[in-house]
Amino acid sequence: MSRPGPVSRRSTKSEYIETDTGNKISRRAHIEGKQNIMLGGKSVVMAGVCLRGDLHRKSEKPAEGEKEGPTTAISVGRASVIATNCTIRPPMRLSRGQMTFYPMRIGDNVFIGPGTHVSSLSISSHVHIGANCVLSPFCVIKESCKILPHTVVPPHMVIPAGSVVAGRPAQIVGEVGEGWGQGGGAEGEEWVEGGDLRPLVRSIK
Amino acid sequence: MAAAFPYTHYACPCSDLTSTAPSSISKRISNNQPANADLTDDRTFNPHDPRANCALYPLDHLLFCDECDAIRCPKCWTEEIINWYCPTCLFEVPSSAVKSDGNRCSRNCYTCPACTAPLAVAAMPQPAGDYLKPTEPATEAYMLQCGYCDWSSRDLDVLFSKPTKITEQLAKQRKARLGSSGKEASDKDAKPNPVGHDTAFGSLTTFYKAQLSESGDAQNQFANSPYSSPANLQRIMNIYGGLSANTLKKSRETPQPMREARDSNEGFSTYTPDPVEHEATVISKLRSLSWEDTTTTEQRLAAPPNNYSRFADQLWPVATPLRTRKGKRCETCRHLISRPDSKVSHIRYKIRLLAMNNIPRIFMRPLHLPNPPPPNAAFRLRADDAVQAELQPNVAQQYILTIRNPIFETIKVTLATPGTTPGNVASRVTILCPSFPVGPAGDVWDEALSSSTTPASASNDGSRKAAMASLTGKAPEDADRQPEAGKVWDRTRNSTSVIVEIVPGPLKAPPSIVPKTEAELADQALDEDDEVLEVPIYVRAEWETVIDADAFGPGAKDDKHHGRQGEKVTKELAYWCVLGVGKIAE
Ligand SMILES: [Zn+2]
Ligand SMILES: [Zn+2]
Ligand SMILES: [Zn+2]
Ligand SMILES: [Zn+2]
Repeated sequence: MSRPGPVSRRSTKSEYIETDTGNKISRRAHIEGKQNIMLGGKSVVMAGVCLRGDLHRKSEKPAEGEKEGPTTAISVGRASVIATNCTIRPPMRLSRGQMTFYPMRIGDNVFIGPGTHVSSLSISSHVHIGANCVLSPFCVIKESCKILPHTVVPPHMVIPAGSVVAGRPAQIVGEVGEGWGQGGGAEGEEWVEGGDLRPLVRSIK
Repeated sequence: MAAAFPYTHYACPCSDLTSTAPSSISKRISNNQPANADLTDDRTFNPHDPRANCALYPLDHLLFCDECDAIRCPKCWTEEIINWYCPTCLFEVPSSAVKSDGNRCSRNCYTCPACTAPLAVAAMPQPAGDYLKPTEPATEAYMLQCGYCDWSSRDLDVLFSKPTKITEQLAKQRKARLGSSGKEASDKDAKPNPVGHDTAFGSLTTFYKAQLSESGDAQNQFANSPYSSPANLQRIMNIYGGLSANTLKKSRETPQPMREARDSNEGFSTYTPDPVEHEATVISKLRSLSWEDTTTTEQRLAAPPNNYSRFADQLWPVATPLRTRKGKRCETCRHLISRPDSKVSHIRYKIRLLAMNNIPRIFMRPLHLPNPPPPNAAFRLRADDAVQAELQPNVAQQYILTIRNPIFETIKVTLATPGTTPGNVASRVTILCPSFPVGPAGDVWDEALSSSTTPASASNDGSRKAAMASLTGKAPEDADRQPEAGKVWDRTRNSTSVIVEIVPGPLKAPPSIVPKTEAELADQALDEDDEVLEVPIYVRAEWETVIDADAFGPGAKDDKHHGRQGEKVTKELAYWCVLGVGKIAE
């Protein structure tokens, strides 16, 4: 695949733009509606990620619309990592012919594997999502869940805390161990699924 | 195993596969080379044993009993249910209601009978033209709809008048449908009315309950006692009260046998073959339908209403099965080793004794690799990170084996591994330094403070170096450093790294001049997963600890470490683990 010239020249300089709060955003990420996206700090958005902040709820009163501050379409917590080529798209509902977008909330220390499509309503903290998953509109992932690669979570599915999920459509196939997310994160130690992702964030350059 | 390489799986010593220690470990003195000669096959844990997978666990799934000082796994703990909850609405279900609701949610949560995805209540779509002139629809109708496959309750002709109280509406429609079909059958062919499954079950339950209470009353003098369980009371009275007049009487007379149900009012039903014309319609339907229009075994078994559904269009929505939160007890001493909070929305633990906080942790990574994979392969960042190079047979590879100590005492670690891996493919394994100490763990604050305030401390420097090494894949300064036998490779405050040399064995034996017999050829045939190189390692840790006052608290009942407070005792812990190295290339 050939990349456009100027982008590749810039990316040799540095792949990531770092914000004041330590978020790392790849220059090769596609970000729409920047003003509607909140990153909690020390989170990473990698190359090829598509963040659709432009899909937000339109204000009810268009007359006062200009005075209102930006509405949040996507909020991501701290030390979460969105790996390459993910699409993050707030869920939408059609009612009486009107499209209404719902804000999406992603918690802290969430890992989203490469090539995953996310349209969830919320993903709680310490969730590990494998590569090439589809999280269909309005699904809710509670904390400390593990979603195996290539899983398709159907619309509106609620995954209770501490579940291991796999399949198309997704089914709960097990529970994470008592030690989920524990025992890693110290310097020089391996990263742990569901654990503190700050060392992983530091390693992404 | 499906885990990505490299991985470490730990075996609980409770299995007979993993309880034996290699003989070398007890006999060995300070010897740099592992005494592999002493290792006999039957004392080595074989990761390719068909039962091995049942003994191996990732470390985060293992617990530790601090009373028994032993690892605990699902085979040596017992579980007790703390609460039941619905995974969809996340409401806790009181234990009294669980049984009567059939272990399913009674609050409008349904899953698709065709594909198991959750069903959502949706308004019936309006005719397309109505979107242009949005008016209130004349008749509101709702249906249960699957967002994953095309199933909806319209397939069953089940519609709802309101979007709430689905369970009631559904039960009513079910009842009406079963009742009408029963009536139809009796109208058609004046046969005894075949009773519906639920009705029959209901009548049988009432009948046998009546029978039980009748016979119980006759025998049990304590039936009306204020105690909750008359049977229990009876038993206690029989034990402590000697032979009561009643018991004596009872022992003489034969117990009144219970009668069985014998007519349809009592729930009794006879087998009546389907009428011929009904069978004929089923057969003709089967002829015209495709395979997808018939139900699968999973679909039929998903819920009782679907047990006899032959066709996909007969599948009834499945009420969501409940899930549980469970506490775990050590099977030996009955102590709680894990107890989660009963709040459904979060996972918090009141008690949680993790193996990883009590046993040395092992972690392996390649020593020289131009572009190392992330230390944990679960953290794939790019699609092409997935490609893991296969191991070349007969080419020696060096790995860094890091042992991390989670306890607050310095431990002396001894590693043992068979010289060649057990199983059909023999790979040679050499641990260059099998015996070494590992420093104590500090608490988190110590670590944080030392790294921020005393940048020049030796231990901190070591951990920095290790961190650098793990990030960049090579030690910062001496990249061309050669591993030496008997020398520790790297050391941080609570971890020690040594080098392991592995020569993957060839998958196929070299061609021989002498023609082989059939039996020999069959012997060589590879089994599933034989190309996966897994190295069993026996880890033994020994440390001295000072007996603290806690050990003499009310909980301490074992006289194992009988010493006075402040006295030092030696403790030891040993287990097998398996390192998944990679796949061997053909
Ligand atoms: Zn066990
Ligand atoms: Zn429910
Ligand atoms: Zn479905
Ligand atoms: Zn115990």
